[in-house]
Amino acid sequence: MPTVTFLPGFHKADVPRGATILDAAQRAGLHMNVVCGGQGRCGKCVVYVKSGKITFDREKFGNFFTAEELDRGACLACQSLVRNDLRVEVPESSLVQEQKILIEARAAEIPFRPSVRKYYLELNPPSLTDTTPDITRLLEGIETRGGPAANKIYAPLEVLRSVPQLLRQGIWRVTGTVALVPGGYRLIKVEEGNTEGRLYGAAVDLGTTTIVVYLWDLATASVIATASNYNRQIGYGEDILSRVNFARKNGLSRLQRLAAESINQALTEAANNAGIDREDIHEVVVAGNTVMTHLLLCIDPGYMIAEPYVPVVRRMLSTAAGRIGLAVHRNAGVYTFPAVSNFIGGDIIADILACGITEREEISLLIDIGTNFEVVLGNSDWMLSCAGAAGPALEGGEVLFGMRANPGAMEKVRIDGGTLKPTYETINRIRPKGICGSGLIDLLAELIRACVIDRNGHINMGIRHPRVRQGRYFPEFVIAWADETDGERDIVITENDIKNLIMSKAAILGACMTLMDAAGITREDIAAIYFSGAFGNYLNKENAIAVGLIPEVPLDAVKNIGNGAITGANLALISRERRRNLDRIAQQITYIELNAEPSFMDQYTSSCFLPHTDLSLFPGVQRVLDECRIRYGGVE
Amino acid sequence: MAMKALDIYKLLPKTNCKKCGFPTCLAFAMKLASGKVDVDLCPDLDEQTRELLGGATRPPIRLVGIGAGERSFAVGEEFVLYRHERTFYHQPGLMMQVADTWPGERIERIMTRVRDETFHRVGEDLSVDGIAFRCESGDADQFGGVVGMVEACASLPEVVIADDPEAQAAALAHCGNFQPLIHAACADTVEAMCDLARKYGCALAVRAGDLEELKRLVGLCRDRGIENLMLDPAPATLRDFLVRSVEIRRRAVERTDPDLGYPVVFDTVPIDLPDAATALGILKYAGVIIIDELAPSSTMAALTLRQNIYTDPQKPIQVTPGLYPVNAPTGSAPVLMTVNFSLTYFTLLGYLEAAGIPCYLFIVDTEGMSVLTAVAGGKLTETVVADAIKKTDLENRVDHRILIIPGYAAPLSGKIEEETGWEVRVGPRDAAEIGEYLETGWEA
Amino acid sequence: MSEEHNPEQGNRILEVSLGATTAEGGTRERVYTVGGAGTFPFLGAGPAAGHPPRIALEICDDTRTWSPIVLREVGDLAGDTGAWAAAAETTFGADMVRLFFTSTRQRGFDDFASLGTTMEEVIGATKYPLIVEGSTEPGIDSEVYRRIGEAAEGERILLGTAEADRYRSVAASALAYGHALVAQTPIDINLAKQLNILLHETGLPPERIVIDPYTGTLGYGFEYSYSVMERIRSVALQGDADLARPMISSAIDSLNVKEVREADPETADEVAIRWEFYAAFSALVAGAEIVCVRHPGTVALLREALPALQEGSHPQEEAYGDESA
Repeated sequence: MPTVTFLPGFHKADVPRGATILDAAQRAGLHMNVVCGGQGRCGKCVVYVKSGKITFDREKFGNFFTAEELDRGACLACQSLVRNDLRVEVPESSLVQEQKILIEARAAEIPFRPSVRKYYLELNPPSLTDTTPDITRLLEGIETRGGPAANKIYAPLEVLRSVPQLLRQGIWRVTGTVALVPGGYRLIKVEEGNTEGRLYGAAVDLGTTTIVVYLWDLATASVIATASNYNRQIGYGEDILSRVNFARKNGLSRLQRLAAESINQALTEAANNAGIDREDIHEVVVAGNTVMTHLLLCIDPGYMIAEPYVPVVRRMLSTAAGRIGLAVHRNAGVYTFPAVSNFIGGDIIADILACGITEREEISLLIDIGTNFEVVLGNSDWMLSCAGAAGPALEGGEVLFGMRANPGAMEKVRIDGGTLKPTYETINRIRPKGICGSGLIDLLAELIRACVIDRNGHINMGIRHPRVRQGRYFPEFVIAWADETDGERDIVITENDIKNLIMSKAAILGACMTLMDAAGITREDIAAIYFSGAFGNYLNKENAIAVGLIPEVPLDAVKNIGNGAITGANLALISRERRRNLDRIAQQITYIELNAEPSFMDQYTSSCFLPHTDLSLFPGVQRVLDECRIRYGGVE
Repeated sequence: MAMKALDIYKLLPKTNCKKCGFPTCLAFAMKLASGKVDVDLCPDLDEQTRELLGGATRPPIRLVGIGAGERSFAVGEEFVLYRHERTFYHQPGLMMQVADTWPGERIERIMTRVRDETFHRVGEDLSVDGIAFRCESGDADQFGGVVGMVEACASLPEVVIADDPEAQAAALAHCGNFQPLIHAACADTVEAMCDLARKYGCALAVRAGDLEELKRLVGLCRDRGIENLMLDPAPATLRDFLVRSVEIRRRAVERTDPDLGYPVVFDTVPIDLPDAATALGILKYAGVIIIDELAPSSTMAALTLRQNIYTDPQKPIQVTPGLYPVNAPTGSAPVLMTVNFSLTYFTLLGYLEAAGIPCYLFIVDTEGMSVLTAVAGGKLTETVVADAIKKTDLENRVDHRILIIPGYAAPLSGKIEEETGWEVRVGPRDAAEIGEYLETGWEA
Repeated sequence: MSEEHNPEQGNRILEVSLGATTAEGGTRERVYTVGGAGTFPFLGAGPAAGHPPRIALEICDDTRTWSPIVLREVGDLAGDTGAWAAAAETTFGADMVRLFFTSTRQRGFDDFASLGTTMEEVIGATKYPLIVEGSTEPGIDSEVYRRIGEAAEGERILLGTAEADRYRSVAASALAYGHALVAQTPIDINLAKQLNILLHETGLPPERIVIDPYTGTLGYGFEYSYSVMERIRSVALQGDADLARPMISSAIDSLNVKEVREADPETADEVAIRWEFYAAFSALVAGAEIVCVRHPGTVALLREALPALQEGSHPQEEAYGDESA
């Protein structure tokens, strides 16, 4: 088998002849940038072959490179087949950058009642007068210790087989681990001696991009370690659709393994940091979107992406860790969150759990923003949900200087209404490279306050100011002159960028309004708006309202729950009541298909304006805009 | 009054049992609120709730059928004043009149026209729906004779217009078994007309120029067990009809006046403005429109208007995406891309055919949105265009690589070039200018 | 009882004045006010009925894209824009002329001087208020609208057409030379409202804006336009000030549809007239205050129908309308 060595880190991988360099990079643990899912379309996975032989169609993919680059051995990792031993240089730009990953979750203030428990037993040995079978003796012991009734506990054959030796080697002093499972209890492990103190559980947020693990000491009710890393499936496409497509092309088991390995990597890191044995982890709760959940369980997600868009399963599932390759005790139960639809997955149910919508009568609105967005509206009595595509603009895509929340991204921007001079903060306080989502929202809000753009998003070219100019294709506004930046070009926002941003924010606001309309409520009825996910954490709430990303509510009613998926997973791990409710919550949610909802297009169009066509829905914003108009004048 | 989804939901069992066929009680409540399902689908409601919800969600206007056989139709079961609020469901029947004093050949000509004349538009055959017999002779036998003559050659839905119950009886003896509309009962004939309606099981129109009188007549008919009713507000001018018909529809859909919950008949003949009256009847809620003999140019326009107004406003009319040859093009002919919104397609096609220039109309799928909306809503993108090129095998259908896109899609030109490798030229924004554009600006 | 029959509620369509008399600085013998209604069309009585709708005949300065049926009908007039305009008022009975400067829509147009000349010619030939349509090409908009606006200064013409992504040139001309303008958006109530807001922010007074919600041709999307007009009128009466403006409707492609084009030459005029009439009449019922057509025969048909819709057409209507109040 040829060996591929990746420079500059000397990561190595052995792959069969004919495998792609991308495959090799995966095995070597490198996270390549593969936006198109390895179809040779995005041109992001550029590598340079320093020595060795590959097959690569330079003709077909030549337009991604300059002649000079081709001379230096440039090729696309996903389209290059390994022929013999290779040395490959990977430029930094071809690797996924480290993002700000959210791993903090709110401290949960709910009764600690995990579903798995240990019982230390000091049993009477059998005798001629007491010939109770071993297993009955064990289970009755558990019942005596306050555990579930002996006849309610199921003992799987493989545990059963280990019982006689363990009881006798342990001299009838053993610890039994019992888990609450659907329909009863299950004896998942028997150990010699008293191990009651060694009972751990893991909550997992299985994200499309990122995996977060919280490790709990279930004996002391405390978090003992957290860890996170990238979902290694990312090499087969950044978005869900690419993954499903790969799964359909015989890649399902591959993606299953990568999901499990990604979780294992985080689990191992957390266990090592906490100084515990992974074998003592007896329960894992996983919150992931519907596709991720299918992939982890190796269930074909292919039917979800074509009409009539059916998932295989929606309800909460449980299995043994050993059956899906998780590196914890093989009998540990793995629980996956239920889903409402293909688009409202377990991650959103976890969000709902995290912000407690179902525990209050007041109406809450929950928004989870990424390339796709999900919205939930409701209270303890009813819930509506919908999902849609916001487009990549809010994550920095489709915007000339847009970028993810990486170092050098402007994350806060202000513009002086009089001088039009912007001030900004970048992530890690380095010279700016571009603008991330929260910076873009700031920018939009500030441009309209300064009367640089009209409510349609058009730049007013009547303004005579060096920062307002005609760009190559579109009018643009200069945020940072080249000499302030990390590069050689002025950082600008173009009218086209603004249009893309408006369309993205309109999709989200339009979805919120569609749900509110379906329920017949107004913005005054909304007691709280929750943002889940990384986007909300850095977002300026006032600006989010000013541009009409969300309905206008009092600022203190807007809350960030951060990573709601991990918080929800934590809650389901430590509270059996919360977990028991999950299926009910999922079933209670009425999913509204926006494409089939005629009023959505209307809501969308009226939201394609700053902040909205109907300013009476944004009275606070209206006051501010009127003031700005007075101060800085209108047009021409 | 109509109820909102959440108000309905509060009255449902909230068990999410799915027995109604919807995933949740709230989903069912939303369907109920929009009048799309019947409350009886929920098996777990007590009688009182069922009645309350039924009253608030069932159609406020009665469905009334006219005619028997293939061309029979029904009107009523409408919910709204304006089609954008939901849709109009049952288009009005156009009934062309014949008078019993007319020469037989004139009557026969009209009968033949109504029976045989159709226009084909957007996948539908459009035609006038039936015949209205008007008794002008005052002679029951003569009237009956004319009805009998037509009845022998055509099975068309009919309206029998005679104030005299005896003339009605004579006509119904010929056609009563085919569910004609009896037109019309007024104060002093209501009893006799009800007897006829009961005898033949036909729908009955009541006529009065005053709403209170109309309601009183409705009450009298109902007392006699006649429920299949229509209302003729006896207008003398267009404005009469407009004001009265709007008022009837408003009170019916607001559920404030159940006695007005019946379809309306509009006899346009006394108002000597056939085109305007027909159009007004179509627009403003008539269920049956009695028309004089209109020229085909008028019926074609009227039927098209009816087809337009009774199209579901929430469904964009779409053209099947694909490659459409116009004026017998060859491989070197220009390719004009546009969206599959039928308004755009037909307009463009009209100009292209008029210009007589051979070309290909290349329709991409934007879910029926216009160019502007599709560009704004992200339904027209370079990927959509690239996919359509593949699907239509465009590369093998023409021997060049030049694509003309609509003026309003200009922002996409660069992206389309990148994605497809085709050279993109931006055409005019206004379809009217396409002929000129192709004549002067197109060189393959 | 909802708002339409309830003039006390007070929401009215804004009144827009078109044309200026000599005393007002123009040369028009007649001026019009459109709008003012507090109800859906033709339902109101007294002041709530608003001003009567107006019928405009469309003509152009370059007939290359004009319907051959109309050109046949008007004969030599097509070659003489001034005479055509005069005939529209006198012979054909239109309330006003809508002049399209179709010449500006030819590629490479640069004869800006001709615009002023034609404009002056048409002003000289007519006595009623005018609607004038300029270019549709952002590159020349500014010059075209300046020339037209300047030549018609003082006449308070209705100048078209402002669109969401090119409204500044038209608005600037309307502001500078005292004209009203047509604000056109593609068959969508939200877009119509947005454009009105944008125009408001340029400083153009709302009583100088007429909304054109874009009218699809009968059989080819007319129903969308019909409903958008109804919606606009409906929310205007509910108090949406941004949309409480008069509307103009012109099913511009009526004479190019298959049904008209392929009509038997014997009946082509009849078909053309009906195709225009059904759309224009329906637009009036939906809320248009100005309807535009191209065939002189359609003007006559509309003329005949309008009085039968208007207040006072029936002696009993007062009693009838009030009965449920």
